[in-house]
Amino acid sequence: MIDRSYKELLKLKRFPHTWCPGCGIGAVLKNVAISLRELGWNDRNTTVVSGIGCSGRMAGYMNLDAVHTPHGRALTAAEAIKTVRPDLNVVVLSGDGDLGAIGGNHLLHTSRRNPNITVFCNDNEIYGLTGGQAGPTTPKGTKTITSPRGEIFQPLRLGRILTTQAPYFYARTTVYHLNHFKACIREALFWKGFSFVDIISDCIELNGRRLGFKTAHQMFKWFDERFHIVEGVRDHLKDDELGIAKREVEAEVKAEMEVEKEPKVLIEGLKLFTLEELKHFDGTDGKPIYIGYKGKVYDISTSPLFQGEKRMRCHIAGKDLTRDIEIAPHGEDLVYHFPMVGKLKVKAEAEK
Amino acid sequence: MKPRLNVIWNEIYCKRCILCVEVCPVGILSLEMDEIVEKPGCIRCYQCERYCPDIAIEVMDEGEKSS
Repeated sequence: MIDRSYKELLKLKRFPHTWCPGCGIGAVLKNVAISLRELGWNDRNTTVVSGIGCSGRMAGYMNLDAVHTPHGRALTAAEAIKTVRPDLNVVVLSGDGDLGAIGGNHLLHTSRRNPNITVFCNDNEIYGLTGGQAGPTTPKGTKTITSPRGEIFQPLRLGRILTTQAPYFYARTTVYHLNHFKACIREALFWKGFSFVDIISDCIELNGRRLGFKTAHQMFKWFDERFHIVEGVRDHLKDDELGIAKREVEAEVKAEMEVEKEPKVLIEGLKLFTLEELKHFDGTDGKPIYIGYKGKVYDISTSPLFQGEKRMRCHIAGKDLTRDIEIAPHGEDLVYHFPMVGKLKVKAEAEK
Repeated sequence: MKPRLNVIWNEIYCKRCILCVEVCPVGILSLEMDEIVEKPGCIRCYQCERYCPDIAIEVMDEGEKSS
């Protein structure tokens, strides 16, 4: 059974929505609605603000009080609403062209003033609505309609800009890594202060086709190749990492050192694996498939879903899947079916 | 439209992006004659429903399936 009550938050009588087939904005709209519904945010205590662009239509499809603002001014309107009505939860749904290009100045200063609003940026790395021109977040070398020999400038790295001054909350995720996506949405909504979720999304009709992708799913696979999920909370994210970077106060010089060391001797019969060693057991060349979970290593070679594949959806063999399994729809009992073959040494990795 | 076995497909909402067809781990969905057709063998993983950006495909509940 799956909870479909999120549909009450969508104006279904206006469906089907206007976005192209396979567009990631539909997925963003749906998952934001699911998360708002799970938190119990409704039309009495929530308002959505959107800017201009394909993603600016998102607010119009939500059954909440919505403001459709001038180009780039979504954050200013949101901040004004939050100032006048602090009891309202303010959610901004907009795109990278709106927030990063014409609204770049507002983005900088809204993050500086740190109002309690949540921003979902549908980052398709292109100006989608106007026909696929190179935007501020277009990666260098990408062919677009205005850069037929490849974009020559460096992209605007929103992740670096927004993580310079604490307090900050920046999460990067994609529409393909769905569990991670939902976890990021939820953490951003819980965050007290300015939270920004950079959702790497696909524009298949105006960007993907020019890059040689035939369907939206091929573009999703490309996201999977380009990005990888990092565990835990970081201070900063690299350009190819998906994860959450947050900090509440400005970093101070830490005097206390971690004295605690992982004991070398463990229960007999259980081998100690480091994350590096674990990577080799990914099922290639007839090797067994091992995964890490809560400090233990399990042999999941007999799992039917991992047969002949290095991965099952977002679960990658030879990795520590503790976080993946926590946010997965199934429980941890699935892991306990498989034999435990060793212990996982995580401390050593953290020290590096 | 052919009878539905395990999934409910909304013809009006669907834009035929065939994301559900490609995301299905057992490959039972296909686009034939501009319709999403399903073969028996659904494992009820809900991937098609979770990935569909148009809310056009839904896996039936257990009770609905038997009736």
